[in-house]
Amino acid sequence: MTSTFLPDRRTDSDVAPTSATAASSRGRARRRLLNWLTAVGFQVPALVLFIGLVILPMLFALYAAFFRWGGFGMPSDYVGGDNFTRLFQDDVFLGDLWRCLLLIALSLAIQLPFALAMAVALNQRLRGRAVYRMLFFAPYVLSEAITGVLFSMIFAPGDGLADHVLGSIGLGGVGGEWFADPSYVMATLFLVMTWKYFGFHMMLYLAGLQSVPAELTEAALIDGAGPWQRFRNVTLPLLAPTLRISVFLSVIGAIQLFDLVWVITQGGPDHHSETMAVTMFQYGFKRYQVGYASAISVVMFGICLVFALAYQRFVLRRDLEGATTTMRGDGK
Amino acid sequence: MGDRALSRRGFLAASAAAGLGMTALSACGGGSDGGSSDGTTTIEWWNISTTEPTHTVWAGLAKKFEAQNPKVKVKIVQLENDAYKSKMTALTASGKLPDIFHTWGGGVLQQQVDAGLVEDLTDRTKPWSDGLLSVAKQPYLLDKKMYGIPFDIGMIGFWYNKALFKQAGISTPPTTWSGFLDAVGKLKAKNITPIALAGKEKWPGMYYWAYLAMRTAGIDALQKAADNKDFSDPGLIQAGQHLKDLVGLKPFQKGFLGAAYSTPTGQAATMGNGKAAMELMGQWAPVVEADSGKGLGSDLGFFPFPAVEGGKGAITEVFGGGGGHALRKGAPQAAVDFLKFFASEATDLELVKKTNTLPIVPGAEKALSDPNTKAVQAQLKAATGFQLYLDQAYAPAVGQEVNDSVAALIAGSKSPEQVTQSITKTAKEA
Amino acid sequence: MTRKTKAVQSLPLHVVLVLVGAVMIVPLVYAALSGFKSTAELSSNPFGLPEHWLTGNYTGILGSGDFWRLVGNSTLVAVATTVIVVAASALAAFAFARFAFRGRELLFTFFTMGLMFPFAVAALPLFLLLRYLDLLDNPLGVILPQAAFGLPMTIIILRGFFRQIPGELEEAATLDGCSAFGFFWRVLLPMARPALGTVSVLAVVTSWNNFMLPLLVFTDAKWWTLPLGVAQFQGQYSSDYARVFAYLVLAMVPALAFYSVAERQLVGGLTAGASKG
Repeated sequence: MTSTFLPDRRTDSDVAPTSATAASSRGRARRRLLNWLTAVGFQVPALVLFIGLVILPMLFALYAAFFRWGGFGMPSDYVGGDNFTRLFQDDVFLGDLWRCLLLIALSLAIQLPFALAMAVALNQRLRGRAVYRMLFFAPYVLSEAITGVLFSMIFAPGDGLADHVLGSIGLGGVGGEWFADPSYVMATLFLVMTWKYFGFHMMLYLAGLQSVPAELTEAALIDGAGPWQRFRNVTLPLLAPTLRISVFLSVIGAIQLFDLVWVITQGGPDHHSETMAVTMFQYGFKRYQVGYASAISVVMFGICLVFALAYQRFVLRRDLEGATTTMRGDGK
Repeated sequence: MGDRALSRRGFLAASAAAGLGMTALSACGGGSDGGSSDGTTTIEWWNISTTEPTHTVWAGLAKKFEAQNPKVKVKIVQLENDAYKSKMTALTASGKLPDIFHTWGGGVLQQQVDAGLVEDLTDRTKPWSDGLLSVAKQPYLLDKKMYGIPFDIGMIGFWYNKALFKQAGISTPPTTWSGFLDAVGKLKAKNITPIALAGKEKWPGMYYWAYLAMRTAGIDALQKAADNKDFSDPGLIQAGQHLKDLVGLKPFQKGFLGAAYSTPTGQAATMGNGKAAMELMGQWAPVVEADSGKGLGSDLGFFPFPAVEGGKGAITEVFGGGGGHALRKGAPQAAVDFLKFFASEATDLELVKKTNTLPIVPGAEKALSDPNTKAVQAQLKAATGFQLYLDQAYAPAVGQEVNDSVAALIAGSKSPEQVTQSITKTAKEA
Repeated sequence: MTRKTKAVQSLPLHVVLVLVGAVMIVPLVYAALSGFKSTAELSSNPFGLPEHWLTGNYTGILGSGDFWRLVGNSTLVAVATTVIVVAASALAAFAFARFAFRGRELLFTFFTMGLMFPFAVAALPLFLLLRYLDLLDNPLGVILPQAAFGLPMTIIILRGFFRQIPGELEEAATLDGCSAFGFFWRVLLPMARPALGTVSVLAVVTSWNNFMLPLLVFTDAKWWTLPLGVAQFQGQYSSDYARVFAYLVLAMVPALAFYSVAERQLVGGLTAGASKG
């Protein structure tokens, strides 16, 4: 069954008008301009806010990355690409890059599929469904400070709830010393991250699932498709745009992870849980080496940008060929 | 179809409300100026005393000052420690500091002075600041000029559990480094955790290295190394080795690498609940122990950091610091008067009695009652040398690097040489 | 026409859900219970029920006017931020999703670039900018930047959803003589309620928990938002952890309450959005 769900792509050049008089082509040009103006007009509020309050500070930070600057006055000690070369020779930063990859891999392999499974489970008519939804989303609503303090206590070595619970089912000592253990700190951190953030992705998927028309899955059911087939061939493709957004946000989020790490471990022990953003914060706000910190942020930005461009090109390309129409007054 | 209409109406209502709200907001927004109207001067006083009893006592002192100076109003802005530091960074960057602001002296104050933002107080305060405890004034003396007035002073030393020491058969606290390592061994033999350490926060670990550096390489070594941007003094490397020896004995509590300082499962609580025998901490230690844990009461004792045999330093040299106030450049005379008021004997007596600070005015010593506090005060008075906390004395980048490198040493990933190398590298780049 | 399916009864599913639910809720219950204990009890009896239920921690906070002013400020800022960001994003996302215009993908990438920039570094230049615009100690100094930083994610999510609305609806509307904005306002928005609900919740939550920006902008305590109050409270009562827990839990309640209300909207949008016109 083909889906007539995604609208066809139509641009001005594809839809040829049936009459080709000069008057009509002038009208077409004017309409195209009007079309463009309307489209851009819709963008204006967002653009003003965005350029003024996001882009401008960003450009300034980019500028500062080429200086050695303590944060006082204006940057004046130009050092060219020095900050960047130092950065890539810094063991801690290189470790940050590696840990970032680790987090991305873990999130994509574990956190997102789990969120999807929960979303599917909760999309059905289930007793207590509303309660579960609220429960699973609740951690996302908590501030990082609360989460950090809570889990520091829960994962306190020996005395914490985690060890108590594990001990009572005979698995004591499984996590080592949790956050205090250089080998286990990332894994423990990932557990907390999942607890806090999977609800966000689940909510995205739920909203997406609810936009899947029930008639389609029912039609598949009538055609004799089993639950997994229905999921794979009907639901999943229709959920695809949502999935793609979720993956995108998850990767970007992993690259920029800061608040949670800062509150719980501050990157420790001995830099074993440090992320790029934590390093950047250390240098910017604690060491007053703001130029260097700006360089880190530029690198972070570069990584995100490369990822986003590659992602758009290879993954979202299908979306590009989909959903667009033009608003043409002539109704053709 | 009724749903759709409702949601649209809801949206419209919300945006209308927001719009009205917005106009109202922009009308009442706007910064606060310390302007004078009808002849009164308003001075802004920024501090970090958010905890009790200090919070209330200070507010009371502000009122007292206002009563003595009818033409002056004091506006207090209080932030907690980390929030304060972040805010001050932002304000310094924008070039406008508050009239009176809390400062720890040392490197950060130096940076603010270099940016031309701090008032030079040397001449304006000389008559009355001369009498203050000299150790207390050290952190604010930059290039031989006074840029801040202290309101308290303190030092780092060992706080120990007398009962646990007795259990391990240690009759008197150690005065030498080898004696100290011995004591650690005796405690371990009795299954008592010798030392509580907040590995996560890094600065408690730094205290060990700093003291060992002072004791081994001499009191001036740390300041000289910073001035020359060269930490390769063999004494400093030797200090790192001593620390490594200590760490090798595994004297810390379980999970110390992730322990914080003042949380219910942190260093102070471990000490306060009698689960460890010692902690190397500042004069505030007893209060925090009692707050986050149970507190040791009369079982708590104090002894100074031992001397290192063959080292150039002496046991009477003190590592510490305190809090003070500085003024922005061009602050009104009322602000200077406030500093004088705050450093007067009357005020200091109140601070000592009610908020447990150590006196900076010699006359206020009589208000001390707690034997431990008196012991600390005695040490301070008899101090033959003083070194300010490294993360204050040094430029922030260097101070942070010391914390980081020593933490790495304690975790076992850096050698004593590497520690001094990293610090030198950062000092040269900063 | 939808067929009523009977409620799913599978036992393994329920077991899994209950387990997950337990993992989700235990830390919160722990925090809530801790608020009823004394701090000493936190170390001696961390995980059991309180020996004596001290309501003092909670009532003390609820009774202080400070707490309610913080809640009020946080609410004002969150609502204003959300309205602005959703409005601006919906307009922009609509244009992205339904128009083909020159430079569209470039502009979209331009917006997504905002996601890639860590706020902490923009903080200092942003502070200087706000000072220049005299927006310090002014709620707009927090609302506008928050909205601006929320634009990328909101636009991305809304564009995705707007695309899923069938093109036939649009054609029908155009045939009826509807303008672009008319279609947007009267047809698209109501249909996109699940999406609008989603991004609103996200915007509210992000604003509610934002700490750094209000810290930099608000000096005067009368404008402080809840996270600032929490940090201040933590600093003030740092050793009285039981009280801090009580405060943290109370600070959570409004956000959770909002979500539970918004959630019903999401469910309500189910049938309205999915059926073809």
